[in-house]
Amino acid sequence: MTVLVIVGLIAWGVFVAVDLVTMPQGLFSRPLVAATVAGAITGNMTSGLVAGMVLELYALDVLPIGASRYPDYGPAAVAAGAASALVPQELVIGVAGLVGLPLAVIGGYTLHVHRRRNAMSVQRRLARVSAGDARAIWELQRNGLVRDAGRGLVLSVAGVIVALVMSALPWSEYPRATLLNWATAAGGLSAVLGGALRSGGHGARRLWLGAGLAVGLVVVLLQ
Amino acid sequence: MKPRAEALVRLLAVQAAWTYERMSGIGVGHASAPLLRDLYAKSSPEERRAAVARSAEFFNSHPYLAGVAVGAVVRAERDGVPGAAIVRLRTALSGPLGALGDQLIWAGEVPVLIGLALAATPWLGAWTVLLVVVIHNVLRLWLTSWGLDVGLREGLGVGAALQRSWLPRAAARAQSAAAFAVGLAIPIVGWQVLAGASRQIVAGVIGCTILGVMLALGQQTRERVTGLRFGLGLLLLALIIVGGFR
Repeated sequence: MTVLVIVGLIAWGVFVAVDLVTMPQGLFSRPLVAATVAGAITGNMTSGLVAGMVLELYALDVLPIGASRYPDYGPAAVAAGAASALVPQELVIGVAGLVGLPLAVIGGYTLHVHRRRNAMSVQRRLARVSAGDARAIWELQRNGLVRDAGRGLVLSVAGVIVALVMSALPWSEYPRATLLNWATAAGGLSAVLGGALRSGGHGARRLWLGAGLAVGLVVVLLQ
Repeated sequence: MKPRAEALVRLLAVQAAWTYERMSGIGVGHASAPLLRDLYAKSSPEERRAAVARSAEFFNSHPYLAGVAVGAVVRAERDGVPGAAIVRLRTALSGPLGALGDQLIWAGEVPVLIGLALAATPWLGAWTVLLVVVIHNVLRLWLTSWGLDVGLREGLGVGAALQRSWLPRAAARAQSAAAFAVGLAIPIVGWQVLAGASRQIVAGVIGCTILGVMLALGQQTRERVTGLRFGLGLLLLALIIVGGFR
């Protein structure tokens, strides 16, 4: 991995981290997008796309609503996409899970810390905000953005290091390493299906889910 | 930059200073500032400061629909509505804008786009990623702009205007479409990730998937065993086996 690729991955990781909550919330932090671009930066977009598809199964189980605590799949998917592009083709799915899932949990925790720091920042300027000082409000916005970028930087650097470690592992010495693929896939399929059934309730939405599953099965059988 | 355009740009960062205490209140205040500055250009600094302070109080909604509140509050300020009534308007808008936005976007449009993209990936490849990003961002910018304009036009009557609009119907339909799109994607992604696997492996993955779904739906387990935790558990088990059979 060249220095340019490392810098590119870190820059993309920071952008993706900031996109989740701060701005512009343009779906760049979705695993499908983040991992595919990371794979392209690393030189293997197809592996990044596969990594993104698998992590997306987990992310579809999450509703990023307001004060709820949820994993941050963005920088995690960047690391997973990069790592997947650097390992043997037959291990892409497993490595995506091995790198992406723990990093997503850590990313979720950093998001919680970031929000607490935002609150402390507001507390320090409370008198000015309550007095209608537009400058204080602007400072809070700017500091929130910078703090989130810093959070993304830490996660992205950690992610790139993990990706490099994954690429250096002697995978050929682990004949059963493909088990990681099946564990990641089974976890993802159960996450997306369980999540869809839970949020589908008992009414028409479950019927729509069933219809989608049926059409999808027909498409697969026709291939 | 014109005040409306500046407010629109600022609405893209409405959650930059998000906190558990004020939620997106600071961001709404930041987005309202250009419109209030324009509105209070000839008023006393005290009046302007009071309006800015009101605009930055607690507020919670879906970020894409925060423009509705920004517009409505600025219109109410323009109409000379008393400060206490404006605060009540903000409070009243919080719940509905949050619920509608979550249904329309997080539980609707986003899963629709992602589900369709996952289902189309075997044929369109990475083009699906570009399509998802372009379609979503066009819709997102249009929705934010529409919300700001509805708020600016309706002021205190924005609640009734929202009820009459396409938004509640679209929110309900979007969730059904999301269920279909996600359902469509599951077998296709499963087929993609299991391509080349032996029958035993496919049976094992299906078995583990059924177990994970049962845990996700079980009364005793649904809170504790999320999809992510189940996946991490499976990975840990796989790691132990992989390491043990080196």
